[in-house]
Amino acid sequence: MFKLRFCFEKNGTSAYISHLDLMKALQRSFVRAGIPVKYSQGFNPHIEMSIVVPLSTGYETRCDLCDLDLVCDDMPENFVEDLNAVMPRGMKVLHAGAADRPVREIAYSAYEIVLPAGDALAMKALFDGPVTLEKRSKRGRRDVNLQDYIKELTFANEGDKTLCRCILAAGNDPLNPMYLTQALKNTGLVEEDATAKYIRTGILDENCEIFWKK
Amino acid sequence: MNDTIRACLEHVRKPARYTGGEYNAVYKDKSQVDLRFAFCFPDLYEIGMSHLGSKILYGLLNSMEGVWCERAYAPFLDMEEQMRKRGQPLYALESGDPVGEFDILGFTLQYEMNYTGVLNMLDLAGVPKRAADRKELKPLVIAGGPCVYNAEPMADFFDLITIGEGEEVMPELMNLYRACRDAGESKAEFLKKAAQIGGVYVPSLYEITYKEDGTVAAITPRDGAPAVVRKRVVKDLDKAYYPEKFVVPSTDIVFDRAMIELFRGCRRGCRFCQAGYTYRPIRARQPETLKKQAEALIANTGWDEVSLTSLSSSDYPHLETLCEGLVAKFEPMHVNLALPSMRADSFNLDLAQNIQKVRKSGLTFAPEAGTQRLRDVINKNLQEEDLLEACKLAFAAGYNGVKLYFMMGLPTETDEDLLGISKIVRNVQRTFREYAKNKARGLRINVGISIFVPKAQTPFQWLGQISAEEAARRKEVLMESLNIKGVTYSIHEYKTSFLEAVLARGDRRLSAVLERAWQLGCRLDGWEENFNFDAWMQAFSDTGVDPAFYANRELAPDEVMAWDHISSGVTKCYLYSELEQARKGIATPDCKAGCRNCGALSLTGGKCDV
Ligand code: SF4
Repeated sequence: MFKLRFCFEKNGTSAYISHLDLMKALQRSFVRAGIPVKYSQGFNPHIEMSIVVPLSTGYETRCDLCDLDLVCDDMPENFVEDLNAVMPRGMKVLHAGAADRPVREIAYSAYEIVLPAGDALAMKALFDGPVTLEKRSKRGRRDVNLQDYIKELTFANEGDKTLCRCILAAGNDPLNPMYLTQALKNTGLVEEDATAKYIRTGILDENCEIFWKK
Repeated sequence: MNDTIRACLEHVRKPARYTGGEYNAVYKDKSQVDLRFAFCFPDLYEIGMSHLGSKILYGLLNSMEGVWCERAYAPFLDMEEQMRKRGQPLYALESGDPVGEFDILGFTLQYEMNYTGVLNMLDLAGVPKRAADRKELKPLVIAGGPCVYNAEPMADFFDLITIGEGEEVMPELMNLYRACRDAGESKAEFLKKAAQIGGVYVPSLYEITYKEDGTVAAITPRDGAPAVVRKRVVKDLDKAYYPEKFVVPSTDIVFDRAMIELFRGCRRGCRFCQAGYTYRPIRARQPETLKKQAEALIANTGWDEVSLTSLSSSDYPHLETLCEGLVAKFEPMHVNLALPSMRADSFNLDLAQNIQKVRKSGLTFAPEAGTQRLRDVINKNLQEEDLLEACKLAFAAGYNGVKLYFMMGLPTETDEDLLGISKIVRNVQRTFREYAKNKARGLRINVGISIFVPKAQTPFQWLGQISAEEAARRKEVLMESLNIKGVTYSIHEYKTSFLEAVLARGDRRLSAVLERAWQLGCRLDGWEENFNFDAWMQAFSDTGVDPAFYANRELAPDEVMAWDHISSGVTKCYLYSELEQARKGIATPDCKAGCRNCGALSLTGGKCDV
């Protein structure tokens, strides 16, 4: 058996594939590509795989990770090319290798948030102090201070957009970047019905280094 | 996808329905395309993407040089609201371009309750709804699908309607469209020529006159249009186009699997069933063809299930050979077979077990009526013993759930027939107690009861639907008798069936009602939570149309029917003789026992594959 990990992009229309549907879409891609996947035992055999850090529907990613069990003993030749030939539009495998680092060492996600042009300085200033918001998770709702989840945060005006680059907590108690937008909307720094675009740009370890490289 | 669409998507449920980009979706270089076709399905994505005919046409049109066929589905209410608010017109999923700019918009009419969906999509596209208000050749708005055997209520909205199977007629139509457009001909000139293609019905070339009592006086063709438009069929299904790729959705749909089509037509002749008559003659594909098609589809899609579809799959002459071949090939690949539409009297346990190795939950049978007498009337040639025998085998093998489908309001139905339903249910329970392998698990019976809708081009096309009062009374009878432990049942809403009946035997005067109903907010009427019966009733009263005239009236034997100029091949005379047999309570043996000369073979020659 070989435990494989690959890094993939999800852009354009494929950003709207939800987490659950993405599992299915990837499984079908593996089958189309003839990848020697491992099936679970039991009544309803399924392909043994996991998407390492879930992503919200509608977000793009440049760096998501998928772990996959194969029945062969080594990395299959041409894995990346074969899979890329059969992926849904907008999805692309960047590189693949052995899943050699445990997932629990993931600590942060980096994001870009593309906002309508606004006052970048004021936006940055908002997060210099405590920002309390109600955060929803599987365990329920509770008020949190966003600062506790933000590792790094910058705002810059670029063309007709304001670009927010941030590093946010991942792991057990992650922060969805939409809370930053929500905070900006609550204070009027971004208009209520404005549309934001979210792109995950990195999955990072404790030292803010890329968690898994080729 | 533009920014407006993206903004819409931020506020809607299941946005992946509106993005395109699925695997096998076809993208073409616009500079290499001279004919853009929008395949419009007037229901939600999850329904439309499950429909086999659409996949065939999508593949076929895209296989034509210079033609780009894209898809559009009816948006759900939340998406429609966003689109209207943001001024985003209906767009094709592949390119994101507004479908109003396309050459041709092709709608499929699967179900009467989708009719307002057509109007809503045209409106969202910014295309005038009535054919007469579209003066230019472009965009041409056309339709096809099972409802066309009487699509008169929609006649005012379409420029032309194709009757029957599309594999041959669609390329012919595309080529004619191109030729006329390139020659600078007018829409009228094009339509006149199109009417000369077999299976093409141009509603505007027929004048309908009415008698004082409201019935049709005459249907008069003009400009050389044929007096009767006969449906088109493919003679040899093995040679017919079949796609090697289906678009693989990136979100849940109703039937998320590959499909092969075993045969067209049905030898049984149930008298209420429109498809049973309009899909004739019976033409089967060879098992080798089907196996190749299934293998190609699985390889190209990655699906883990293939469904063997047809009107009655257990009637396929080579079913065992086919299944053996498919199981041998697919089992090692973790690909399951699904065999819907099995009949209880040709139920094959080995087969059912062989293909459903995993789950032993679902058995589905459709006795349709509660007594043998009534089953003879409707020609559902299924004996209760056969049903119980099938249940016995299945229970002994470990099955413990049964779904049973019936109808109420069938012609000549009495309370005894209704009570017969609960008798069958009790007999199924008794069979379980006697033969079940594992009695402790208990038996779950699910009874689904729909209300009979007389359909055009069937032996029952002359008959009326029961009234609302009578439906309510019969429902009471059923509810009381079906209050049995271990049994759940659902009885279809009369209101929906009533409207279906109005439209199924309606004429062109209903176009105004449909338009009014749409104005009053009716859309997605097939979804119970959206169905607004009061709005429909208001639409009837606003337009001065009496719905009961269409739904509940019995037609005279010699009456001109609004759909007399459309032929499925089966003759009116044959249908009437079947009605007379029904009235006498005499069943007609199925076609396997011998051809009854229904007329369908006049379309193809040869004989039926039974
Ligand atoms: S009656 Fe004859 S022609 Fe008609 S479907 Fe049956 S076998 Fe075919």
